[in-house]
Amino acid sequence: MTLWSLGLVRGVVGQIVGFAAGMALVIASRLLFGFDPVWNQEPALVGGIIIGSIGFLIGVGALTDWFKWMRGIETPLHHGPPHGRPAWTRYFGVDYNHKVIGIQYGVTGIILLGIGGMFAVIFRTELAASGFQFLNPSNYNTYLSMHGWAALAAILLGIGGMANYLVPLMIGAEDMAFPRLNAFAFWINVPGIITLLMSLNYGWDGGWTVYPPLSVLGPVGYQFTFWAVFLIGLSSILGSLNLIVTILRMRPPGMSLFRMPIFVWAVFATSLIQLTATQFIGQAFLMLSFERLLGMGFFDPDKGGAPILFQHLFWFYSHPAVYIFVLPGLGIISEILPVFSRKPLFGYRWIALSSIAIALVGFLVWGHHMFTSGYGEYLRVPFMISTLLVAVPTGVKFFSWLGTMWGGKLSFPTPMLFVLGAISVFLIGGLSGPILATTATDLFLHDTYFVVGHFHATIFGGFVFPFFAAIYFWYPKITGRMYDETLGKIHFWLMTPAFWTMSLGQMSVGVMGMRRRIADYDPALGVEFGHVLVTIAGFTIAFSVLLMIYNLLHSAETGRVAGNNPWRSRSPEWQIPSPAPEHSYASPITVVGEPYDYGIPNSTYVHMAPLAAADD
Amino acid sequence: MPKSATDIRHFIIAGVLVAITTVLLDLLLKAILPMPVQGSHQAQVIDQLTSWHLTLIAFLFSLVVVIMLYSLFVFRKKDGDESEGAHFEGNTVLEIAWTVIPLIVVFVFGFFGVRALSDVTRAAPDEITVNVTGFQWSWLFEYPDSGVASNELVLPVDRAARMDMTSRDVIHSFWIPEMRVKQDLVPGMTTTLRFTPSVTGEYTVDCAELCGLSHYSMVAPVRIVEQAEYEQWLAERTAGTAPALAQTGDETDADTDVETDADAQSN
Repeated sequence: MTLWSLGLVRGVVGQIVGFAAGMALVIASRLLFGFDPVWNQEPALVGGIIIGSIGFLIGVGALTDWFKWMRGIETPLHHGPPHGRPAWTRYFGVDYNHKVIGIQYGVTGIILLGIGGMFAVIFRTELAASGFQFLNPSNYNTYLSMHGWAALAAILLGIGGMANYLVPLMIGAEDMAFPRLNAFAFWINVPGIITLLMSLNYGWDGGWTVYPPLSVLGPVGYQFTFWAVFLIGLSSILGSLNLIVTILRMRPPGMSLFRMPIFVWAVFATSLIQLTATQFIGQAFLMLSFERLLGMGFFDPDKGGAPILFQHLFWFYSHPAVYIFVLPGLGIISEILPVFSRKPLFGYRWIALSSIAIALVGFLVWGHHMFTSGYGEYLRVPFMISTLLVAVPTGVKFFSWLGTMWGGKLSFPTPMLFVLGAISVFLIGGLSGPILATTATDLFLHDTYFVVGHFHATIFGGFVFPFFAAIYFWYPKITGRMYDETLGKIHFWLMTPAFWTMSLGQMSVGVMGMRRRIADYDPALGVEFGHVLVTIAGFTIAFSVLLMIYNLLHSAETGRVAGNNPWRSRSPEWQIPSPAPEHSYASPITVVGEPYDYGIPNSTYVHMAPLAAADD
Repeated sequence: MPKSATDIRHFIIAGVLVAITTVLLDLLLKAILPMPVQGSHQAQVIDQLTSWHLTLIAFLFSLVVVIMLYSLFVFRKKDGDESEGAHFEGNTVLEIAWTVIPLIVVFVFGFFGVRALSDVTRAAPDEITVNVTGFQWSWLFEYPDSGVASNELVLPVDRAARMDMTSRDVIHSFWIPEMRVKQDLVPGMTTTLRFTPSVTGEYTVDCAELCGLSHYSMVAPVRIVEQAEYEQWLAERTAGTAPALAQTGDETDADTDVETDADAQSN
């Protein structure tokens, strides 16, 4: 086995070669057409970014099968680890098994979440005291902006990981509907991430919202961000298409929509948003890139453009995107609660439909990010009302979760703790929303740290806590071994109080007058104590996540053997061996009952042919 | 402790706990979220609405968390008990109730929200107009009635003020925390912000929209003074006894402006 046989290595080499070729192409064209000067940094770099990304995809092999199809060559799906190489190498190259792709998404997501978190810890430390300690305004702004997009990309990857790994397993499908598209959708993220990280070299200072004209006037690092987001967005669109088709077309006999595991409903609602909204940010970021590159004045008032137009396009994706980030996590909460409550999910249909309702209402509220932007004043009223309406389906979820726990037989292993933590944190995020929705109070709180606190509580409660719950919960199915319960509980008891402190601390300094995204603040505001608390909390969270990573790596070797169904779950993926075999289900499954009928003796959800028939 | 999950005593105990927690949490929230000085008429409206929000937050947070914690303690699995919980799949009346009641609350808050919004944006007859220009990373305030230009915003107390604002470069946002209200400054258009200062004192106007390198330091002094002092200040400025800055409000000479203002800022 050589290093060259790893797809990832070939991809990176492909990107380097492609980057050089792209730059050369731009220089050659400028020479050919007599542009002066021949060397112009920005177009050359953009050429490098575009061709480099294609170079990565060719190098890694994500396009290989499609090239063969063009030439009329058959490409039968290969199952199992690659020939003549260790089994682990399949995770570093193109593999069509949805479980491998799910792990690739998930692990890349965790790594990127770590990078995004690291940026936060760096500038958080700077903020612990007023005055400049070890950062200057320029790298403060860059780290702050990088934190935003690194973390958001990590969330999209984490969601991709959960959806790809779990959806086919939960609906008893052999794989995703389009395995090659699935692999392509994962791998296009990697050149995107590399491009995003390259922007560090040039800097950019607009925050994740990159509002023009600032993002048009700023350093060339912006171009890297625009194209990175474009690539990662393309992955969202293709991945969601694949999931929608898989969910609609590949369910087993007997699994009507209202008999799907509830997580599948959440993924379905999420995918509808991803498929229909992501174009807007892709388009908006391309327009920014072209405005910089070609002088097209989309957002420049001197050239007939409008700065506020960008905000509409941006938020038309980026508000629904928040629901992309949280709906799968809320689905995880609904999925795990009944297992550890030993009770049916309370109001299954209401929870399922509330996800769709949130997805639909989510398209009507983008203007609440723009109450102070200067758009037509009359627009503030409809956006206020539509935003408040989101509370209704969200409330249905909370109350149904309480109904699920009430009267159950509750036990508290780590995944359940993280689910409960998620509920408490998402509650903080959700309840701090309406005060930002009623416009008058938003005129005060807009662009303050209160918003930072609200947003992080929403994202931690809706994504991070449920994601960790999911990791602990399905870890035995993925590895066949149990994680260390004590370390898991330490992780929870460090992270959850730290997060509450962080949230309340951020909201508190915000109300006291701390603006968002400032590299330094006036000590006269009296917010220094709050910042110290938030910084300590931030470090505690970071440390607890490191504990989890150690736990996951260590237990894969030393954990006790988990068995097929350590949680006594009814879901189909727990009725097969752990770790899940290459072909998940030895024979097709049939759904014969309700997914969450805990408490009815001898009832089952799925029927499977006896395992003896499994001889693959 | 009652055994059945639907025993009325469970709900009574939980209800009492929710009520107690709501009161305590309401006090706690108002303690950890201290608002700046209530410096304008708009601030009164906004703080009132904020206070209602915080009480509602205290109630809803208590409702969910108390019932959750109650379940965790009362309905926890005993060691060695492998039996399942009570089998109920839902309750349509409850689901409808917790859809319809929040819907009503939403419209009540929507009503108060709209009323508060119209209160804080309403025009007053006798407004002082100030033309505000934002640029990286400073502010310029021009008083069109007297031709005064300044890097400091001076306004008389208890008189409605109207900011007509624009930006020369990127988007900025005008925010005096004590006045509560906030409005972006957008290049190529004029935006308007109204407030009526009600307490004399020295404040700052801060840029609230990330505007590049020195966004954090885009702060200008604000003085809310008695009417007589305001008139005196204007008169001094018009008489030319103030620094030469008053002459630099000319839009056609943007570059000089930036330099002069930057100098003034560093003084």
